[in-house]
Amino acid sequence: MIGTKEYYFNIFQVDQPLLDSLVEEALRSGGSYSDLYFENTSYGSLLLRDGAVTSGGCHQDFGVGVRVLSGEKTGYAYSESTAREHMMACARAAAQITDTPVEVSPYGTASPRRGEPNPAADRYPMQQPWREMPMSGFLPFLQKLEQDVRRRDGRIVKVIANLAFQVSDILMYNSARELKWDTRPMGSVSLSVVFQQGSQVENKSTSRSFRCGAEMLTDALIGEMASEVVKGVDERFAARRPKGGQMPVVMGAGASGILLHEAMGHAFEADFNRKGTSIFSDKMGCRICAKGISILDDGTLPGNRGTLNYDDEGVPGQKTYMVEDGVLTSYLHDRISAAHYGVRPTGNGRRESFRYAPLPRMRATYMESGTAKADDLIAEVQKGIFVDEFSNGQVQIGEGDFTFYVKSGFLIENGRLGAPVKDINIIGNGPAALADIRGVADDLIIDPGAWTCGKEQSVPVSCGIPTVLIGSLTVGGE
Amino acid sequence: MALSRHCLAFALEAGAHKARITLTKSLMNLTGVLNGEVDKVALALDRSLQLQLFVDGRFGTFSSNRLEQNELEAFIRESIDTVRMLEADACRQLPAPERLVKNARTGMELGLYDPAYESLTSEERRSLALESCYFGQAKAREETSWKLISEEGEYSDSVFDSLTLDSQGLEARHSETSFEIGYESTVEDAEGNRFSSYWWDASPKLQALQWKGCAEKACLRAAAQIGPKEIPGGKYTLIVDSECASKLLTPVLNALGGSSLQQKNSFLTDSLGKKLFPECLTVMDLPLTQGDTGCRLFDSEGVATRERAIIDKGVVNTYFLNTYISNKMGMEPTVEDATRVKVLPVGGCKTREDVLRKAGDGILVTGFNGGNSNSATGNFSYGIEGFLVKEGKIVHPVREMLITGNFLSLWGNLLAAAEDARPCLSKLIPTLAFTNVDFSA
Repeated sequence: MIGTKEYYFNIFQVDQPLLDSLVEEALRSGGSYSDLYFENTSYGSLLLRDGAVTSGGCHQDFGVGVRVLSGEKTGYAYSESTAREHMMACARAAAQITDTPVEVSPYGTASPRRGEPNPAADRYPMQQPWREMPMSGFLPFLQKLEQDVRRRDGRIVKVIANLAFQVSDILMYNSARELKWDTRPMGSVSLSVVFQQGSQVENKSTSRSFRCGAEMLTDALIGEMASEVVKGVDERFAARRPKGGQMPVVMGAGASGILLHEAMGHAFEADFNRKGTSIFSDKMGCRICAKGISILDDGTLPGNRGTLNYDDEGVPGQKTYMVEDGVLTSYLHDRISAAHYGVRPTGNGRRESFRYAPLPRMRATYMESGTAKADDLIAEVQKGIFVDEFSNGQVQIGEGDFTFYVKSGFLIENGRLGAPVKDINIIGNGPAALADIRGVADDLIIDPGAWTCGKEQSVPVSCGIPTVLIGSLTVGGE
Repeated sequence: MALSRHCLAFALEAGAHKARITLTKSLMNLTGVLNGEVDKVALALDRSLQLQLFVDGRFGTFSSNRLEQNELEAFIRESIDTVRMLEADACRQLPAPERLVKNARTGMELGLYDPAYESLTSEERRSLALESCYFGQAKAREETSWKLISEEGEYSDSVFDSLTLDSQGLEARHSETSFEIGYESTVEDAEGNRFSSYWWDASPKLQALQWKGCAEKACLRAAAQIGPKEIPGGKYTLIVDSECASKLLTPVLNALGGSSLQQKNSFLTDSLGKKLFPECLTVMDLPLTQGDTGCRLFDSEGVATRERAIIDKGVVNTYFLNTYISNKMGMEPTVEDATRVKVLPVGGCKTREDVLRKAGDGILVTGFNGGNSNSATGNFSYGIEGFLVKEGKIVHPVREMLITGNFLSLWGNLLAAAEDARPCLSKLIPTLAFTNVDFSA
């Protein structure tokens, strides 16, 4: 949601001359670029536990971060006050990075859109702004969600439902005199359910997260989440660990996009490549997977958790193809890495809050649909595993080894789904797994869950993938 | 102190029946280095006020970093209105006064504050970061089987201060300094394969910080991974380096936490007083050790911590129940979480080498790569990196392997626990060994 310039100036108690003074002060010792990042975030949360919404709260976070770049070196300081003297002190602290004056700034000329933010192009307008809604209005949503879930399965013994929302007013200014502003909403609902069958206990959870207002809290969402969380409970109770080892893995459409995030996305973030630590550091322009496969990172999907009108360096949100038709075509850049590589920033400079300097980070990372049918990919596998529900993943950038934890899936035997499996970790090597993709189905799903990436700082992301067959990964088991 | 007292009084005047207020302040300086040069400096000053408000039998938590008095007063009024919208819950109470800490008046009682912090200059911080680098030496070395590609490190120091007040007279303060150094190195072998590793140290006292050799150790740990070989999956003895051993105990401690137990989402439900672990296992909580990283006199409710066995000779000796959860479960409250966990030695081993000798053959795990566990069942599956061990000696690195099992059966097969946990670790968990663990490869 994009307001007027005056709205943001008023929140942060600044004006144009003050912004100019701050960037000038930040560069007084000789830095090559400086920027300011103002943030005013309101958080709200409600928790339903044991049948009642008995816990909730609100939180405010306000401040400004000042960054000074000297070549590729970063000085950073922040203040929780926007009083002139406090911000000037920050500018001087950040300027400590400058021991060698750098004359030319390559950073400020890279934005393709230098004008004012356009409300008509807003990717996350709020029909029901969170800040204008009384908290009491949200209680019935959580209560109905719990009731709907409980009526669907008699084995449910505990339900926790959580609603969290935040709205961030952002104002950005830099030494190239680029001024951008934005208001970013985020609403998230999570549902965690414990089932008991005899002496056996199992848990399941699901979540939804979108950049939008409270209009997301609909009966349709209740039905969707309640249905999803009870789906597959019989299989969960019946599931066993498989025999571990190397085998073909069919990644179900949607949440399996964690494969792209861990196995490829991080390795495409340009800071890892600039520093030479990524396994893809010397692969630009090379074929890294089969023809027909395209992988992109997208900040333009309306209402998506990873979407941005502008990134946290004021660069317009955009759609970046990392792999086109099997060839590595772009890293994910912030301003520093873009200047290093001599390309335009891709709008991936992101930060957790004003307390952090931005880094190249993913937004919504997904693979475009292929031409195969999901059932045909499963039918190709004699003995393997199908996975479709995950909890977390990790990657070692240098080696390219990635893992993800599978909450549920199925064995594949003679081309058909067999016994259910659960609680297994899968491990592989990013470049090897990419090169070993044997088929891509035509059923891309962007997962709507509340994914958060934890590279040094936490930022909201999303991921997606069509059903994909990988020739061989190592599956944990007994 | 004055601001906190004012806010507490204002909350009570404005309609809260009970309240707890915590004011925190921290200041951090950071110097980052990349390949032997300063790459980043950062200064971070944080202040925040957290409020727990009890209004008409209802409860809410709030926080703000806008500490101007008039803004806080407006925030408190709005917060009280918000609490009134929630549903009532009789279990929400302040802790009984006799459980509250009495001896945390100055914040300095545990000796975690180092006055040396106050006199550190920017130049000294820069020197500490630069002098700990190994990049130049690594580049100059004769060895040609590998080269250092990247060395990234950070030196940081910080001071943290918190003050907690409540409406029944609690006044508890905690102050500490922290000095930290950490390096991450990536090396490349002759075939172009890359391997990364890290090393770090931290201490509340600058003098005790082991900064020399930190970067070199990160580099050599990365180089030690060169030449991994595939080995067949199967059952092996698992030896876990102290550096990463907490991965196998933390889920056990989480399962003893009130939230998991009350929600029946714990594999240790109804375990109190039961012998579910081997006789040889004792896990202590030692929150009162003078000068020791992570020690605290009180938890976030202001409840006094105390030394106790968490698992005593295999018997579950305590849950972690805050006031709210204990009221919901109808049980006696404890502290809300473990503070300074220590696993006592098992099997007569002092060092990692002792454990390797005792294990004989197996796999030494030096790091975990992802994975997770099921809190309801205790089942786990983790990616690992490490080394094959034969007759107590490291033979070669292994990679792309996984361990899979259940925490109760894993700890049931505990073979050894050394005495080598570094003081900088948040949990004092030494090198451990377990027999009969499933490895997939």
